[in-house]
Amino acid sequence: MTYLIRGKIALLLKVVVVSLISAVLLMLTQSAFAQHEYVISAFLALTVLALALTYLTKISIPLKFFIPGILLLIAFVIGPILYTVTMSGFNYKTGNIISKEEAIVQIKARGIEADPAGTSFDIKLGTLSGQEAILVSDIANLSYFISTAEKRTPVAAKDVALNEYGVAISAPNFTILSEAQMAGADKTYSKIHFLYEGEYFIALEGFDAGIVSRQVLEYVSASDEFKNVVDGSIYRDNGRGNYSLPDDKAAILEPGWRAPIWFENYTKILTDPRVREPLVRVFIWTVAFALLTVLTTFALGLLLALALNKPIHGRRIYRSILVLPYAMPSVMSILIWGGMFNTEFGAINTLLGTHIAWFSDPNFARVAVILVNLWLGFPYFYLISSGSLQAIPSELLEAAAIDGANPRQIFRKITLPLLLQILSPLLIASFAFNFNNFNLIYLLTGGGPRNELDGQIAGATDILISYTYKIAFGTGTQDLGLASAISLIIFVLVASISLYGLRKSKVLETFA
Amino acid sequence: MKKWLMHDSWRHIIAIAVCLFSLFPLYLVVISSFNSSGSLQLTSFIPREISFKNYQLLFNNPAIPYLSWVKNSLVIAGAVAVLSVMIGSASAFAFSRLKFKGRKAGIQLLLLVQMFPAILAISAVYVIMERVYTFAPSIGLGTRAGLLLVYLGGAMGVNIWLLKGFVDSIPAELDEAAKIDGASEVQTFWLIFVPLASPVLAVVSLLSFIGTFNEFILARLFLVDMENRTVAVGLQQFIGGQYSQNWGPFAAGSILASIPIVIIFLSLQKYIVSGLTAGSVKG
Repeated sequence: MTYLIRGKIALLLKVVVVSLISAVLLMLTQSAFAQHEYVISAFLALTVLALALTYLTKISIPLKFFIPGILLLIAFVIGPILYTVTMSGFNYKTGNIISKEEAIVQIKARGIEADPAGTSFDIKLGTLSGQEAILVSDIANLSYFISTAEKRTPVAAKDVALNEYGVAISAPNFTILSEAQMAGADKTYSKIHFLYEGEYFIALEGFDAGIVSRQVLEYVSASDEFKNVVDGSIYRDNGRGNYSLPDDKAAILEPGWRAPIWFENYTKILTDPRVREPLVRVFIWTVAFALLTVLTTFALGLLLALALNKPIHGRRIYRSILVLPYAMPSVMSILIWGGMFNTEFGAINTLLGTHIAWFSDPNFARVAVILVNLWLGFPYFYLISSGSLQAIPSELLEAAAIDGANPRQIFRKITLPLLLQILSPLLIASFAFNFNNFNLIYLLTGGGPRNELDGQIAGATDILISYTYKIAFGTGTQDLGLASAISLIIFVLVASISLYGLRKSKVLETFA
Repeated sequence: MKKWLMHDSWRHIIAIAVCLFSLFPLYLVVISSFNSSGSLQLTSFIPREISFKNYQLLFNNPAIPYLSWVKNSLVIAGAVAVLSVMIGSASAFAFSRLKFKGRKAGIQLLLLVQMFPAILAISAVYVIMERVYTFAPSIGLGTRAGLLLVYLGGAMGVNIWLLKGFVDSIPAELDEAAKIDGASEVQTFWLIFVPLASPVLAVVSLLSFIGTFNEFILARLFLVDMENRTVAVGLQQFIGGQYSQNWGPFAAGSILASIPIVIIFLSLQKYIVSGLTAGSVKG
């Protein structure tokens, strides 16, 4: 085995693998650069450099061990975290998704209007001495001309050949596009303003028709503003990702772009009641849900651990059955429970002889969520509680019994305090995990029920993370900026909880 | 009645009651999977019929590429399990055993990063992969390769952290002895550490496998094409529709997909519990 680690074969193998990976990454670097993704491109280039330096030189031995892990971590965890921080400072939502350059192009493209008569012509796409051109047929007046972005050339009626609809299909110096060329031509031709008369030009409407139009919104790059040439109004950059009228901020041009608004997403959480109030409600339920889950799962788990803390008959069978909910893939279990709570056909209503619409009533939906999470979570606490019960020194319990304590007193005064001390880091970890238990909420209730008529996004069982997901990827306005800001607040909360738990476990380690 | 039964009867009552609670949903899925009507109704506790229609549907219906879903899940989860432990254990070894500048700061950063729930950065990951798609369509949004990379990166924090804990528990005398005998760090890693830690590495990689197999939301966002889906996302589609809930094939598909996971889990129970007490919670 040593020859794989040291020696010429190993060296050759290493050089080949590193070169192959570098070659692929370099190709990606270049194509990212070509697509103007400069940050990604720079990261890829640095990756190649780091790999080459680490594995082809003797710069540092520790680097050899952790560079692949660290690079992955940077690319898919630290990078996205930093990007989340960036996004949270931007007005980044439906209508403000693209960059400013793209927005200007789109506003220009949308800022045209047809001439008052609504004139349109039959056209054919082609080229005139290598330039994109259209052959225009004014069938009513039997006049024809070729137009490019720069000039317009009249063609005499005798020089054109007509098809059965009277549309010119050939003219001197004009080369019509073949079927194959047409397929790719749409993008280039639709952007060109073919010359017509005065301020009017011909814009393509599909492949066969052109509409006489004029540019109403003109971009003035010197002062970075859009000018409406018809009524003279001026739209200026409002600093929040839109061009708007200076005296009427609501009159904006679509689309906008993602613009930095610094802490506005955060201040909105505190000051805007439409954001704050649902968020506070969701936060309270999140904490209640996580607490109730930890309490119920721990209580049931502990009860079982106590019941089975003696080698009674059938203990192994019980144990195997009891861990089944934990062994099942949780996605499947949650979906099955979802079906069981169905009002009409669900097994729960059949079993109870009731007709409860579980997921339509806020309180029943909350009970269902807690019950399902109890099913999913109690085996975990059963397993770790039975492990911890074994760890409690039996001398302690015997001493208490000799002193005349009854079993209940022993449990309350000795077993439970010790267990809580041993398990508190895990209880905290479980709280932190359930605080973000997205799958359960999303797959069981979808966060519902909610009052859709009020236009509310948050439902009665939504926890912070599922609410954030709805803000970012929901059906209405998708607000990635606000969602990122909330995500970061959740992170700070969860990290503080986890650090607190960690400190507790550290304290324990020093005692153990 | 025997004396032991009298004395321990409360223990049996609790255990049996909770066992029924555990088994009820599972029993319901099993009988639904053999029921041809396609509902998850509880008409009677004893199945009236045993039909394999739902199972046949999974394999014979071209509109339900169940086998591709299973294959996708196995390939993605398998690759994540193997690669993340390979890469993660090397990093963990470096953090635990090697001395270098910034080690302490690195460990603290790692501690913080592994606490970050991957789901919080989901919109950022989505936007980034959408951009990657514009220049590299084979690894961007909508591809299995892209999803694999995201999983791999996302698993790295927790895996390095967990494995570092295990490496710390291996006595340092062993690799010091190897060092004295003239072994390089790379040799120590491959010839001392990997063989010693292989049971632990196997457990961590199986935990990764189960975790990835269970992952839903990234897979749902990433994989749009029917053929590309994982089992979890594919099966959810059967019952996701408001009016066309198709429980029969869902039940059959869930059972088949769960069996290997349940077997892995039960056979590794002992190790998983000790891994869990080390601070990880299964998703």
